[in-house]
Amino acid sequence: MKHDMTKLDSIFDKYPKSQESLIAVLQDIQKEFQYLPCEALEKASEILDVPLSKVFSVSTFYNAFSLTPKGDKVIRICVGTACHIRGAKLLQDQFESLLKIKAGETTKDMKFTIEVVSCVGACAMAPVVAVNDKYHGSVKVSKVKKMIKA
Amino acid sequence: MIHITINGKVVECKDGEMLLSVIRRERIDVPTLCHHEAVEPSGACRLCTVEVTKPEWDGWCDYVTSCLYPAKDGLIVNTHAPKVNELRKSILDMYLARHPKSLKIKQLAADYGVLATSLETVVDGNNCILCTICTRICDHMGFSAISTVGRGHGKEVAPPLDMAPADCVGCLACAKNCPTDYIEYETGNGRLKIWNKEFEMVACTVCGKTTVTKEFAEHLSQQRDIPFEYFEKCDECHRKELSATMGKIANWEREVRS
Repeated sequence: MKHDMTKLDSIFDKYPKSQESLIAVLQDIQKEFQYLPCEALEKASEILDVPLSKVFSVSTFYNAFSLTPKGDKVIRICVGTACHIRGAKLLQDQFESLLKIKAGETTKDMKFTIEVVSCVGACAMAPVVAVNDKYHGSVKVSKVKKMIKA
Repeated sequence: MIHITINGKVVECKDGEMLLSVIRRERIDVPTLCHHEAVEPSGACRLCTVEVTKPEWDGWCDYVTSCLYPAKDGLIVNTHAPKVNELRKSILDMYLARHPKSLKIKQLAADYGVLATSLETVVDGNNCILCTICTRICDHMGFSAISTVGRGHGKEVAPPLDMAPADCVGCLACAKNCPTDYIEYETGNGRLKIWNKEFEMVACTVCGKTTVTKEFAEHLSQQRDIPFEYFEKCDECHRKELSATMGKIANWEREVRS
């Protein structure tokens, strides 16, 4: 996949060119492309003078970073204790069967990605499903179809 | 200089020196898997755990990894307290369950009386105990070709982007220092293969034996000021050459004296 690499330059210009900027730069790249492309990691390693192995280590350590492209809508199903008890697994199954992908995967048309997360800190409204940055509480299996369409 | 007590013996050491180095200097056997003198300690294997206390702690004890615990004046250390042995046993028990094929771990566990694990064995588990000696040594050598990848259960040692690491020169420091022989490499036909990267070896101009990889020899000759020709002779031939020179000097001396 080809990306607009000029955007990368403007990200690198924002931060001092040292290893302290690594996470901030990776966060910005993640925000821009929805994932961390290989070329971006190599460029970050070169410009910030951090070994590529260290860049890779950091980008695989944090869940906030993804090395595979994500869909336009990232559906995050909370499977923390409270959500689990209130049927998060059923929601997950429903999402998976409707979109025909497994958790952690992205649909072929790059529209949806399903992720499972452990607690988003909103246990009172369990089960919680977050679609991009919008949080839905007390989600029922019957609501899942609507959430995908909307 | 300060004084600490190890197993009842008063020992002199530097303030802030790591306990493990004092213990090793006293020739007390404390097992370790992740320790290497050349690199920063990481406290990953937990086997060097010792009991520490001080008279003013009112009988309270702490269990710390000695490789990361700085010595302070008046510290009382017990390297083989009953509770320490228990701790090491349970750590080895877990290692044995996770890495049943590793001979080194089997040996260590047997030394502590753990002949079989009490936990469920990971059948297809590899031998990597994530001690990170390999990555720390690779950093120390100045290559940083490999690193830990991922986190939690999925954490492993690997080159970046799962490709042959560009920064690797095939020095084998990682493989040779791996305590559990997890890192594999192949040699033969004047080539070396490690981390899915192939290298050409430098051959001895005298006997034809391979010495180091071309990349490593180039790196050392550039960075450490060792002439490249040095690597074109194997250790044995270097030694032969040296003894021949020594013989010449001895003959010459004899001639001068007579």
